Amino acid sequence: MISLNYYIACAVALYIIGMYCLASKRNMIKLVMGIEILVNAAHLSFVAFSAYRSVGYIDPLGHAIVIMSIGFAGCITALALTIVTYAYKHYKTLDVRKLRRLRW
Amino acid sequence: MFTPPLDALLMLMVATPAVGWVAYKKGYRKVPGIYASASLLVAAYFLYGLYKEVEVAENGIVTRAFDIPLGACLEIDFFSVFMAFLYIIIGLFATVYSIKFMERDSGLTEYYTLMLGMIAGMTGIVFAGDFFTLFVFWELMCLTSYALVAFRKQKWEPIEAGFKYLIMSAAGSATILLAMSFLYGMTGTLNFAALADGLTAATSEGWLYITLALVIVGFGVKAAIVPFHTWLPDAHSAAPSPISAMLSGVMVQTGACALVRVLLLVFNSAQPAWQMTLAVFAVFTMFGGNLMALLQDDLKRLLAFSTIANLGYIIFGFATVSHDGLTASLFHITNHAIMKTLLFLCAGAFIRQTKTRDLRKLRGIGKIMPVTGVFFAIGTIAIAAFPPLNGFWSEMMIIAAGVRAEMIIFSTLTLANMALSVVYYFRLIRIIILEEPTKVSKRATKAPVSMLIPLLILAFLCVFIGVYPGPFIGASSKAAEALLNIEAYADAVLGGL
Repeated sequence: MISLNYYIACAVALYIIGMYCLASKRNMIKLVMGIEILVNAAHLSFVAFSAYRSVGYIDPLGHAIVIMSIGFAGCITALALTIVTYAYKHYKTLDVRKLRRLRW
Repeated sequence: MFTPPLDALLMLMVATPAVGWVAYKKGYRKVPGIYASASLLVAAYFLYGLYKEVEVAENGIVTRAFDIPLGACLEIDFFSVFMAFLYIIIGLFATVYSIKFMERDSGLTEYYTLMLGMIAGMTGIVFAGDFFTLFVFWELMCLTSYALVAFRKQKWEPIEAGFKYLIMSAAGSATILLAMSFLYGMTGTLNFAALADGLTAATSEGWLYITLALVIVGFGVKAAIVPFHTWLPDAHSAAPSPISAMLSGVMVQTGACALVRVLLLVFNSAQPAWQMTLAVFAVFTMFGGNLMALLQDDLKRLLAFSTIANLGYIIFGFATVSHDGLTASLFHITNHAIMKTLLFLCAGAFIRQTKTRDLRKLRGIGKIMPVTGVFFAIGTIAIAAFPPLNGFWSEMMIIAAGVRAEMIIFSTLTLANMALSVVYYFRLIRIIILEEPTKVSKRATKAPVSMLIPLLILAFLCVFIGVYPGPFIGASSKAAEALLNIEAYADAVLGGL
């Protein structure tokens, strides 16, 4: 059986990839994908912990949370993509640098 | 299912589209707004019933629990009731104000549905007894607020601000989720009471601090702690004014309250570490908010930065982790909610009549709209902490609590910040009230009466709490006691095990 540590390392790596994506990417769709990667890092961590709690038995709490959270992530993505669509209608571009009219 | 007020809010929220559809068919455009206001009154009535229940309950905690420690649970203590009451009252003012303010917008049914959803989410957050329930309601609050910020989708600004807010806040939520998964991995439960025991029992220090950092960052994004605050000025200025009032008056504070509740209950063993971190962040937040507010020429952006500064004071009060500090912070949350709602709603009235948020164009608007101008002046003087208005008492209490908790340097910095903030509040008063009206201001007409009624009540509350703060400080003190009473909170669900 693969050690739990690998799963956790993978989840942390995914989290860092997601943050990097949010910090560096300029395409709005890619930013939404970055959010998905972040959320899925947490999901992976939950599922791994729930599988390794005790031998031969999978803790249902972790799974319940992940299923609920997948629903939320779906809602957020849907809303984000709606906003992206409207932004595209306004600016005819998906580049976030082009819509930096907001000051600091 | 979940306590009557929350049930009422959720059910009435789900029923709003049906009501709105029927009203739309019949041609009554104001019905959804009136329905939403009535729903909030119903929720307030049920909340009063719940308060009576909490008062007689053992240890002052009412629980709704399913299969502890695995299942979801709600724990309602006096702190929850106190905050929920604030949400519903501020929500009621914003809703009543919206009936007139939003009358020219389309999609009103959706607007009020989202508004009720946001209030239900915030109420759920303070009622939650485990991390999972908190997260569910947290996402409800976040999702509805994203949609509300980007509500006027025909314009570029709400779209842009909404997207920025969504990305930052969703990243914060994902961070909270990751922190939750680590807590779950360390203890096998997400119940607040069980987590507190589990974490002190057996965990490596390293993971505990990593989780602590993730929790502070995750909630900090919502609570607009300074390095993570950049969404706030954009979202507050782009949203419709009643929504700005809700965001700035109560939603941001919900982030701070959820943070402090989690820190107090779960990370009790690491208190010295997070106490100092919070205090340092609080000072950064105050300075960031106040210094940026000095530079603003946009009315709503200025108010948004002043919200950041006030959050700094509130978080500093929480960081003292004493009964005095928490009382002062909770009292300041109440006062700030009232003052900031008043200011944003007045700003909304100015903006509605002039179609601009630019302070240079809004000069002397108080002379053209005298009633709104007077209310705005009362709000500004209150938030600038002048006696005998309400802001003075809570801000002085925060400083005093800091001194008593032996954080004198931080208290001095807080005092310096409060002095600094007076500069831009007086600039606001001078521009809005004292200067000669510009061409744009001269064209404005008086605000409609149904918008003035919430303003009148809020301005009255500013003066009333200032003159007679006793009962409000008493309520805050009781809420702070409930927040600090960790053993009773743990016993309420785990006692039976």
